[in-house]
Amino acid sequence: MNAATQPRPRRDDAYNFAYLDEQTKRMIRRGLLKAVAIPGYQVPFGGREMPLPYGWGTGGMQLTAAILGADDVLKVIDQSADDTTNAVSIRRFFARTAGVATTEQTAQASIIQTRHRIPETPLTADQIMVFQVPNPDPLRFIEPLESETRTLHALKDYGVMHVKLYEDIATFGHIATAYAYPVTVAGRYVMDPSPIPKFDNPKLHMSPALMLFGAGREKRLYAVPPYTQVSSLDFEDHPFAPQRWEQHCAICGSEDTFLDELIVDDQGTQSFVCSDTDYCAQRVAQGRDGQ
Amino acid sequence: MAAPLLHTLLQPAFPDPVLDAQRSFRAALKALAEPGVVQGLRPAHAPSPLAGLAEASHALCLALLDIDTPLWLAPAFDTQAIRANLAFHCGCPIVSARQNARFALLDSSQLHDLSGFDLGNDRYPDQSCTLLVQLPSLEGGRRLAWRGPGIQREHLVAVPLAEHFWQERESRNDFPRGLDVFFLAGHHLIGLPRSTQVAFHGGA
Repeated sequence: MNAATQPRPRRDDAYNFAYLDEQTKRMIRRGLLKAVAIPGYQVPFGGREMPLPYGWGTGGMQLTAAILGADDVLKVIDQSADDTTNAVSIRRFFARTAGVATTEQTAQASIIQTRHRIPETPLTADQIMVFQVPNPDPLRFIEPLESETRTLHALKDYGVMHVKLYEDIATFGHIATAYAYPVTVAGRYVMDPSPIPKFDNPKLHMSPALMLFGAGREKRLYAVPPYTQVSSLDFEDHPFAPQRWEQHCAICGSEDTFLDELIVDDQGTQSFVCSDTDYCAQRVAQGRDGQ
Repeated sequence: MAAPLLHTLLQPAFPDPVLDAQRSFRAALKALAEPGVVQGLRPAHAPSPLAGLAEASHALCLALLDIDTPLWLAPAFDTQAIRANLAFHCGCPIVSARQNARFALLDSSQLHDLSGFDLGNDRYPDQSCTLLVQLPSLEGGRRLAWRGPGIQREHLVAVPLAEHFWQERESRNDFPRGLDVFFLAGHHLIGLPRSTQVAFHGGA
């Protein structure tokens, strides 16, 4: 676990560099430039079939393939873990088709493809985050027609988003939305930040790193440029609040990270550990522990 | 006699078509994500200048244009050499009407009039034209404060541009509709997305 950066492996030259053909990369690249110029707006793109099923990160992979260069160092996480099936197979895919160096250490990576988390280690201006997105449109839950949601976005008609949050308050007494919590980007577009926990929403705000979002099945990409205002929707009397835990990580003792709950025996005994495996291992290497 | 003509007309493109296109794109992506910050292309990874087209302009054309991107050429760039090389290396259609262009290649003589370029629409603002503006230099103009996404507080940028350009840009910038611009000189580029607010009024 937490291996140091793997040196550049030999590229399988039966494939074009990073798998996609050059015309597809150009199409995605032009889309990414527009996405950066219009923060939070969903750019349609001609999503290609990838050698894995929808739901496994085809959108994120196409974006990574379009931006990846020979000198990049790639990190891939799934629920913030480097060693899960999805993360391992995507990392191996690009190691093979692009011959790039890979790493599990956030600070070493120049591109981080992620499903469901933003790393705990603060990002830098030289890093790009690529998010795998299942449902890019935050309005889709109320309006299934793309033509209608597009009009709502065009008119900046986002009242229905607050209705959804209000219904949470009316039913549960608080905003119960815990992930894919909608945000307003640069005061204009309401955006689904992908299924990251709302714990990670504050990390989007004024981040020094460029954030790119790709939805393969829905064929949409969007972006949050560095140093961009990103605010989570809320009410004056029910302000946005990220999750908090009374427990600390059983491995590294961290009290301010996103924790996963584990049930460790038949009696239902709980244990909590950091979801970010790299961050947790770095703290253990520094001599912290949870006892 | 066709062979000798072609021999002099067609120039080599990127030394490495795949990786140099990627490097040029990443420079363009960083330029738009950090408006006002000069990005550079390493000479070893840039194409040679082409009949009046600087290295950075040439590189962005090669990296971004293809059969899907109609291109509008300002008269200064509407030469046989540029037409032949872009047709050969990119295959992009070259259009005479500005409103049909997805990309446009301009020099400083064109910046007093940006009429006709597609600004996108409220439903599809991404369909707007991208302007590639080649300048003699990216410095030496009036220092203006740029603010907006990609800029932590403000960037002071001195791209040498006449007041007319900023008025033209402002009159056509109705966010989310608007024009995205790359300023190009030599091996360097600066990005100016539509989201950037530039305080150009007043002062000398």
